[in-house]
Amino acid sequence: MGTMGLALPWKARISSVPRERGTRVEPSEHFAGGPNPAAVDAQSEDAALAAACRSGDLCAYERLYATHGARMKNLARNLLGNPIDAEDAVQETFLKVHRSIGGFRGQSSFVTWTYRILINTCYDARRSRLRKKEVANEDSEETPGLEPRAPGAHPTLRMALERALAKLTQHQRDVFLLYEVEGFRHAEIAGMLEMTETASKNTLFQAKKSLRQMLEPPRRSAAESR
Amino acid sequence: MNVTCSDRERIFEDGTSAEWAALEAHAASCALCAEEVRAWKALSVAAKELRDYSDSPSFWPRIERALAEEAAPWARLRRWFSFFSNLSMGWQTGLAGAFVLILTVSTGWIFLGGPSKGVGNGDQSLLKSSALKEVESAETAYERAIDKLAAQARPQLDNPATPLLANYHEKLVVLDSAIADLRAQAGLNPSNAQLRYQLLAMYQEKQHTLEEVLEARQR
Repeated sequence: MGTMGLALPWKARISSVPRERGTRVEPSEHFAGGPNPAAVDAQSEDAALAAACRSGDLCAYERLYATHGARMKNLARNLLGNPIDAEDAVQETFLKVHRSIGGFRGQSSFVTWTYRILINTCYDARRSRLRKKEVANEDSEETPGLEPRAPGAHPTLRMALERALAKLTQHQRDVFLLYEVEGFRHAEIAGMLEMTETASKNTLFQAKKSLRQMLEPPRRSAAESR
Repeated sequence: MNVTCSDRERIFEDGTSAEWAALEAHAASCALCAEEVRAWKALSVAAKELRDYSDSPSFWPRIERALAEEAAPWARLRRWFSFFSNLSMGWQTGLAGAFVLILTVSTGWIFLGGPSKGVGNGDQSLLKSSALKEVESAETAYERAIDKLAAQARPQLDNPATPLLANYHEKLVVLDSAIADLRAQAGLNPSNAQLRYQLLAMYQEKQHTLEEVLEARQR
């Protein structure tokens, strides 16, 4: 952080819906030609939501859940590997937001801050689960469980991808999930993971390179042998 | 814009829309780049398999209940005091002893003010009006003194440099909230001595916390 010429992470604002790859707007496009009216709206909406949550209004938390709950739960499930732990993590995140909202100074967007809390809560849950496993002398690697998901999903591809993701570094996995699955922009991810946008792009690149190697070895070796 | 095979990885990492378009045009005549672009995009498509936004109707009510429980001030205070369970037995004993001492001193402070200044003989829980005035003026003076202490500690608490200071900050927020609740209750029932004891204990806890914050700064 603090590298010259880079957009600062706390400028990132998060939209309420995940974007498709083709419509993702990166900062270089986003800030061209002055302030974007949609971004200004999103900022004021974000500030209003933060203020309502700070006042203790439960309806504001419900609004936060309605706009981001499903995405938060999906992210937590991919980070923790099962829906039960994911729901616990999301609930704990809401409680932490409620407890700490008084200390939120608006240095990042409220929603970025919320997702940062969620990610840290998932890290804590993973660490705690690992500690429990160590105590129980279960010498198994930390790999997310393979839980049933939405009907229509391709189970083999999903399982292969989950196994491959488990072998990535924590940062690579997080950036891949946030960008490719949840549809966040690099500027937003930078704010959540407290890294620069350049680092986020580079981490995604490395993650995808590793995933390619893990997911496509038979086809590649066949091509090479020809 | 012209791109070559050597630009491919850079574009994968941080290419603009124009560069991607140029790479796709190049891939139309380069089998290797065409395969690489296909595989790169396939990962993004595959990632969507990990997306499941199905709703769980019972989940929000569960969060809402937890938030409502959390909002109760005594629950917040109880949660903060659960912090003590993480301390070693020696610290727990020391803190428990200090708390008992504070309660004893504060009880004595109110009762030993003399029978005419203390509680009435008929009802031990009610304060007489003259005693009430003294208690209130003592409380006000005590509160002012604590406010001065709080002003000195504010720079550390507004920008806590360590997790310990952040923890103190959270504790003080909870204490202030509990004090405000007790003051409101005492306003409705000014002669209730029990409420005054509780209020005094809260003020003393706040004073000790602020002292610890100031000591942490000197360390």
